[in-house]
Amino acid sequence: MNFKKEYDVIVIGAGPSGVKSALTCSKKGLKVLIIDSNGNSGGQIYRAPPKSYIKKSEKTLEENLIQLKFSENLKKNNIDTAYNHTVWQVSPGFKIDAFNENGTIQWNTKNLIVATGTYEKIIPFDGWTTPGVIGLAACTILLKAHQTIPGNKIVLAGNGPLLISVAYYILKFGGKVDAIVDTSSKFEWIKSMISLIFNPKNFIQGISWILKIILSRVPIYSNSLINKVSKKENGISIEIQNIKNKQIKKLTTEVLAVGHGLTPSTDISRLLKINHSYDDLKGGWIPKLDQYFRSSMKGLYIVGDGAGISGAIPAEDKGELAAYALLKDQNIINEKEFTNKTSRIIKRLNRYEIFAKGIAKLNFTPKDLINNISENTILCRCEDITKRDIINAVNNGAKNLNQIKSWTRFGMGPCQGRTCQYSVAKVASEELKCNVKDLGYLTGRTPLRPFPLDKAIGDFEYDEITKVEAAPL
Amino acid sequence: MNLRIHDYFERGKKVKIIVNDETIEAYEGECLSVVLFISNKKNLRTSPKLKENRGMFCMMGSCQECVVLLDGKKVTSCNIFIKDGMKVKTGNLNEL
Repeated sequence: MNFKKEYDVIVIGAGPSGVKSALTCSKKGLKVLIIDSNGNSGGQIYRAPPKSYIKKSEKTLEENLIQLKFSENLKKNNIDTAYNHTVWQVSPGFKIDAFNENGTIQWNTKNLIVATGTYEKIIPFDGWTTPGVIGLAACTILLKAHQTIPGNKIVLAGNGPLLISVAYYILKFGGKVDAIVDTSSKFEWIKSMISLIFNPKNFIQGISWILKIILSRVPIYSNSLINKVSKKENGISIEIQNIKNKQIKKLTTEVLAVGHGLTPSTDISRLLKINHSYDDLKGGWIPKLDQYFRSSMKGLYIVGDGAGISGAIPAEDKGELAAYALLKDQNIINEKEFTNKTSRIIKRLNRYEIFAKGIAKLNFTPKDLINNISENTILCRCEDITKRDIINAVNNGAKNLNQIKSWTRFGMGPCQGRTCQYSVAKVASEELKCNVKDLGYLTGRTPLRPFPLDKAIGDFEYDEITKVEAAPL
Repeated sequence: MNLRIHDYFERGKKVKIIVNDETIEAYEGECLSVVLFISNKKNLRTSPKLKENRGMFCMMGSCQECVVLLDGKKVTSCNIFIKDGMKVKTGNLNEL
């Protein structure tokens, strides 16, 4: 694709929210670029299969149809798409730096919509770094996008709605689920299902998924967590513990998929140093935004689950609201049109939020999960930092996450703390007997993703180097 | 059990890749980390301090655990797609 140097609007993230905002801006005549590190639109929720997969006509998956619609709409509206491009730097103003397999590229824009979604929270336990232990979200991506069952025998663990959806897809595709280990109780599920009534489509879908799991006689361990995982020949051995009666059950399986809900991706908003607030119901730290998803920085809008976890359907509404706010801020639509377009969306979004809050309660991290982490367990996978290292740092005087980082090197590895920041904060807050929000969050740093220096430099001849005169002595 | 689901999509043609001198069959265009995972090549790299085995974990380019050497360069295998004759090395990547 021949990109322009400057766009009226740049959207980072081609999931439901990013696509909706891009379409809304484009329909009013703005030139829009949408960037995504995946090879296609759809985000993680409707992630497209690899390019080489050709759809068979007789059978289709609903997610795939939604994704195809996204691609078609982007094309129809002449929106430039930079797929397979990973953003590694965003500077105020705005300058967006990205890389792909050929090298680096920079774009400029006055209006930036960040729709970078979420990461999965995975609370550590002994042996969680063992190969064969993967995220529940990773498991979903394997199933839905890559059309692959991760193993012949799978145990699913954690909490939240993903547990049920992953189990359903494994069974639907003919795989075997050895067990579901749920941190929540059955009672908590029933309570949350009541709030699902506000969203009938999801309610019916949820019930049919649960029915399939029950009919397949998958053993469900409620109120339970994974105590320990160790490598065994041809698989892994898992120790399951009941939180209430402390009973232990041992299982041998091939793959463990585990996840404890989602947390908003704040990489870019932290880098741009806008204000954030802490909200457990929304997944942790979220950027401070007005009701139209404007941030405190002029021209910066943050949408989708990255603005607080509420799901794929409300994510589209958030994207649309931000786009209308942008159009009004740029005087492309007037006050009357803005109110007309947005009041209906706000009403719908508020209704969805009731449902989202019900689901969010299933995503809460119970204290038992944090307290059950043994001192030798690695929290920061990149730098091999254990819970003991974190506790030592705290006891030696580290008072916030950035200080703990300097003390221990946690969060200094290639993942920049994305995998462990949440659990390190929880562990430190338990030790300091303080609120997680009092520990702050890691300062945003570039590069947002590691990439080889040769890509940044590119190819050049010796003659092309600008020679600088040596400083006089 | 065939872990690849063929009901909804046709995959690319069958090709061979070389993983640490061992030949593995895969379909062209499949995701490298997924192929390694289901071919029982789960150990991809070692951790810096403890030299523990690590493998595919998040599948969305965030955790960086699935790094391997592809034709001599470090890449996250979750966003690499299979081409015929690819040479992949796993293990302690800094000493290979």
